[in-house]
Amino acid sequence: MTALRFDDVRFDYGAGPVLRGVAFTLEQGDTMALLGPNGAGKTTLTKLVVGLLHPKSGGVWVGGRTTQGRTPEQMARQAAYVFQHPDQQLFARSVAAEVAFSPRLRGLHEDETRELVRDVLTRTGLESVSEEHPYDLPPAQRKLVALAAALAQQPQVLVLDEPAQGLDRAGISRVTAIVREVAAEGVAVLAVTHDLAFALETLERSLVLVEGEVEYDGRSQDLFQDETRLWQLGLEPSQVALLSRELDLPGRPVRVDEVTNAIARLAAP
Amino acid sequence: MILGFVPGTGALHRLHPFTGLSLAGAVVVLAFALPAPGGAIGLSAALAVLGLWSRLPRVLRTAAVFAAPFWLFLSLIHVVFGDDPTRALTVGGQITAILLGFLLVLASVHPGRLVDALLEKRVPFSMAYLFAATLQAVPRLQARAGIILDAQRCRGLPVNGPPWRRARAVVPLTIPLVLGALAEVDQRAIALESRGVGTPARRTPLAPPEDSALDRSIRVSLLILSAGVVLIRVIG
Amino acid sequence: MSIQFESLSFRYPGSGSEALRGVSAGIDAGVVTLVTGMLGAGCSTLLLVAAGLAPRVTGGDRQGVVRTLGHDPESQEGHHALAGRVGLLLPTPWTQLSGMSYTVRDEVAFGPANLGWKRDQIADAVDQMMALMRVEDLAQRDPRTLSGGELQRVMFAAVAAMDPDVFLLDEPTIELDPRGARLVYDLLPQLAEDKTVVIASTDLDRAVEVTGRALLLDRGRLVADGDPREVLGSASAASMGCSTTIAGIMRSAGLEPVYPLTVHAALRRLGR
Repeated sequence: MTALRFDDVRFDYGAGPVLRGVAFTLEQGDTMALLGPNGAGKTTLTKLVVGLLHPKSGGVWVGGRTTQGRTPEQMARQAAYVFQHPDQQLFARSVAAEVAFSPRLRGLHEDETRELVRDVLTRTGLESVSEEHPYDLPPAQRKLVALAAALAQQPQVLVLDEPAQGLDRAGISRVTAIVREVAAEGVAVLAVTHDLAFALETLERSLVLVEGEVEYDGRSQDLFQDETRLWQLGLEPSQVALLSRELDLPGRPVRVDEVTNAIARLAAP
Repeated sequence: MILGFVPGTGALHRLHPFTGLSLAGAVVVLAFALPAPGGAIGLSAALAVLGLWSRLPRVLRTAAVFAAPFWLFLSLIHVVFGDDPTRALTVGGQITAILLGFLLVLASVHPGRLVDALLEKRVPFSMAYLFAATLQAVPRLQARAGIILDAQRCRGLPVNGPPWRRARAVVPLTIPLVLGALAEVDQRAIALESRGVGTPARRTPLAPPEDSALDRSIRVSLLILSAGVVLIRVIG
Repeated sequence: MSIQFESLSFRYPGSGSEALRGVSAGIDAGVVTLVTGMLGAGCSTLLLVAAGLAPRVTGGDRQGVVRTLGHDPESQEGHHALAGRVGLLLPTPWTQLSGMSYTVRDEVAFGPANLGWKRDQIADAVDQMMALMRVEDLAQRDPRTLSGGELQRVMFAAVAAMDPDVFLLDEPTIELDPRGARLVYDLLPQLAEDKTVVIASTDLDRAVEVTGRALLLDRGRLVADGDPREVLGSASAASMGCSTTIAGIMRSAGLEPVYPLTVHAALRRLGR
C-alpha cells in the first residue's frame, strides 16, 4: 500500500496558483527531500499531507485513504508533522508528558503509552531529560522533543519542516539516524529542507518544486551528481560532490562516508 | 475574524487617525446616552451601513459573531425567563454598537499613520508606538494562536465537539500562546532598537496623515452630537 | 578599530553561567569577520553586546570594556551617537518586523524614517536596497504574508537601508534557499570594503569562501582568532564540529591537521 500519493494536485490561496498539478508517490519506507526555492509551494504541499489544507482539485491519499473531508486531528493517526519552530506546540510540564500527549489523545492504555514514550525518548536521546520542562531545554533539544512527540503518533507518514535547521553536527547526525531507523520500520518520511548536504545524506529521493510544479523526482544521489541540472533548478552541488568530481573518484560518489573512504584510500601511503 | 487593521481604501480608511478614534469615543458615549432602546439599535444600524459603505463587510461579520452570544444570553434572561424585552434590546444594542464602533475603527486606522499623527502632536515615540502596538496586539495573538491550533490539531487534539472535549484543548493551546507572546515582547524591544527606535532623531512620517477640513468638521460634529445628547439626557 | 572588546564578560539575568568570558578582540572594516562556535557558544551574545542591546535591552551583567565606533554602546551617550550606525540583523526575521507596516516598502523604510531622513533620501535608500536583495517584486506585499526566506531578504534590505557603518549579521541566510544564500554571501566582501562586517554563522562551507578573519568561541571564551584557514582547520575546531564539510571529511579520512577547508585546498593537500 502506497504511503503517500499526490494525484494532479492543484492549490491556491485565492491570489494565483501555488501548486499546479503536483503528482508523486511515496511507498512505505521511502524517504524524500522536498527541495526548491523560497515560495515554491513546499510548505503548502506539506500542509496538504496532514489535512491542514485540502486540494482545490486532484487528490491526496495517505495510506490509501483520501484526505478529502478529513480534519488534521483525524489525519493525526496516519501523518505526523514536525513544524519548523517547535515552540509553537510545546506546552507540557515535562518532556515525557509532551511525548505522551498524542498517544493519550488516541486513547492508548497508560501502560502502552509509557512503553511507547520510553522507546521514543531512547531513540531521540532524550531519556536523560525526560522529566525536564521542555522550555528549560536549549532550542536544539526542543526540536528533538517535537520530533519525539511526532514519532509517538506512530504515523505512516512523517513530515519534517527544516529538520536540520538550528542543530549542530551531532544533532543533525541524530536526526539522520532517526530518519533511517523509522524508514527501515516502514514509515515514509518527507522533509522540506534547504540544507542540500542533509538531503543528500538522509533522504534517498528528492522532489524539486519550482513555482508549484515538480521539476525533478528521482534519487537524491542522481540529482546531486548532475551539476547542470542542479544549477538549472536553482540548487547547487554540495562540497562533497565537487570534491568527488575534482578528484575523479571512481563511481563519482556524493555521500560523505563513500567519499571519506575513497580519500582515505587515496591518502594512504 | 477581523480584529485588527485591514489595508483598504474605503471611506473610513481615508479619515485622519484622530477622526477614527473620535468616532470610537463618540460611539461609546452615544450608545449609553441615546434614548433606549431605539437609540442604540439605530446607532448599530448606522454603523453597519458605514461599515458596508467603507467596504468592510468582514468586520461586520466579526462583530455579529461576537455579539451573538450576548444576544442569546440577553434573550434568555430578559425574554424567555423574564418579561423585559426592552431591556434586552437596549443592552444588546449598546453592546453591538460599541463592538461595531471599535472593530470598524481598529480595522481602518493604520498603526503607522496613527504613530505619525501622534508624533506630530509631540507625543513621545515610545508612547505612540505602545499605543499603536496595543491596538495590533490582538491580530498578532490571533495569528500566533492559529499556528498553535494547527500544530496541536496535527497531534490529534480535537477542537470541535462537546464542551468537555473542547475544555481539554485549553491548556495545550494557551500555554504556548502565552509563553510565545511573552517571549515576543522581549524580542520586539530588541527588534525596534535595531531599527532606529529610541534615538533622539525625529521620525519622518512616511505618509503624513492629512488632517482635512472634512476631518476636523467630522470631529467637531461628533463632539457636539455627543455632548448634546448627553445634555438632553441629563436635563430631560 | 571599529569594534573593541577588552576582557568582555557577560551574564544574562538569572543565568548561572557566563555567556561570554574574558573576550578580547578588535574588529575593523576591510575583511568579513566570522564569529562561530558550537550552539550556545556566545556568538549571538557577542553581536548583541557590540550593538549595545546587551545588557541595555536584554538585562544582565557586563564586565570589561566595549567600544563600538569609539563609543561605549551601553552608555546613554553611546546609544545616541550610534543611532543608525550599527545594523543588527537577527536570525529570526519575523521578530524584527516593525508591526506598523503593511507593505514591504514601508517596512524597509521604517528604519530610515526613524532616523529622521528626508523622504526622497528614504525612497532612494529603499529602492537601492530592495534591488540589491532582489525583493522589488515584493514591494506591495504585506510582510506578514511572506515566507521566511522572503522575509529574511526584506529584513536585510531594511537594515542595510539605514546605511550603517557596522553590519552585525546573525545567521543572515538561515531561512534562505541556496540562491538567496549565495546572493548574500557574494555581497559581503564588497560590503566589507568600506563597512565593518561581522557575521555569526554556522554555515561554514559558504562562510569560509568570503571570510578574511575568524573568531572561534567555546562556551563564551575566545579560543582562536585569526586566519580562517588556521582557526577552522585546527584539530580543536574540527573536533567541535566547527569546521567545513571538507575539513570533516579530511579528518575522518585520517589526514593530519591543519585540515583543508575548501575543495581547492583539499586538492592541493592531496597533491592534485
